[in-house]
Amino acid sequence: MAATFASKCSRVGRSLWGGLGNNLSGLLSASHETACNHFLSQQRTFIQMRTVLKVVDNSGAKKVMCIQALKGKKGARLGDTIIASVKEAYPNGKVKKGKVVYGVVVRAAMQRGRCDGSEVKFDDNAVVLVDKQGQPIGTRVFGPVPHELRQKKHVKILSLAGHIA
Amino acid sequence: MRLEKCWFCSSTVYPGHGVQFVRNDAKIFRFCRSKCHKNFKMKRNPRKVKWTKAYRRLHGKDMTQDSTFEFERKRNRPERYDRNLTENTLKAIKKIDKVRATREAKYIERRMTGKKAKELREAQKELEQNISLVKAPALLKEDPSLTLPIKVKVSQKQPEVQLMEE
Repeated sequence: MAATFASKCSRVGRSLWGGLGNNLSGLLSASHETACNHFLSQQRTFIQMRTVLKVVDNSGAKKVMCIQALKGKKGARLGDTIIASVKEAYPNGKVKKGKVVYGVVVRAAMQRGRCDGSEVKFDDNAVVLVDKQGQPIGTRVFGPVPHELRQKKHVKILSLAGHIA
Repeated sequence: MRLEKCWFCSSTVYPGHGVQFVRNDAKIFRFCRSKCHKNFKMKRNPRKVKWTKAYRRLHGKDMTQDSTFEFERKRNRPERYDRNLTENTLKAIKKIDKVRATREAKYIERRMTGKKAKELREAQKELEQNISLVKAPALLKEDPSLTLPIKVKVSQKQPEVQLMEE
């Protein structure tokens, strides 16, 4: 129980500080409230241009910024492929900063409908870098992945995954 | 198809309902409706929220240990399809549900016994003590209809009183 709340605190803390940093004037209590409300009623949407995603494989990149969502007028969702630019990378890795790569979205904060009628959502936006053919560049995948990838024929990523949600 | 339990309120989530939240440590939280989901996002502890099953079990309001709960444990091995087995299981499910419902009702009834007597006693006491809020004590002496009839143990004094009245 304590561990869950610790991890939840870290997640909340990030969004709270983001809200508080903007309005640090006299109405501190009011801004705290509005930050909390914003966190509760936050509308999670698609992954579009300028969306920064976390990279969850060992390809060498840490953060990528989406520059194009292939398929989808409003943006990419769970299981879609995107074109991204590497913004942050480990010093010695297969990809370097500034490289344009393809990626498969494996975790999205926006809920996606399952065929049985329920919905799934994850904690953050995460991506696995792939090449043009759809084969992953890295050799390991961290964290849970959804089994929507099976329908999209990303079987290799599923096999590398530690946990399938 | 599998009937899950809501993480917050412990009610069953039927297929087509609810939201499933997967945390980065791969723990899956299922919610039956947005009420539970929003409470979870508020970081409320279900053991402290009065209407959840977790609270009720923790505070002894609902039955915790019973043999009917053993039937509902999660089984991960799929069974080979057998028509007879399926038929019997379906019949058994209905019967077990009925038995469990009666047992839970009896548990709550047993918990509530003595409540009516207690309420009556408390009401009597309140009337005795606080009747002065309604009527002045001087008036009460003249008009005894406001006080409750005090049951006096009458043993030998009765015949004397009757003689005097006559």
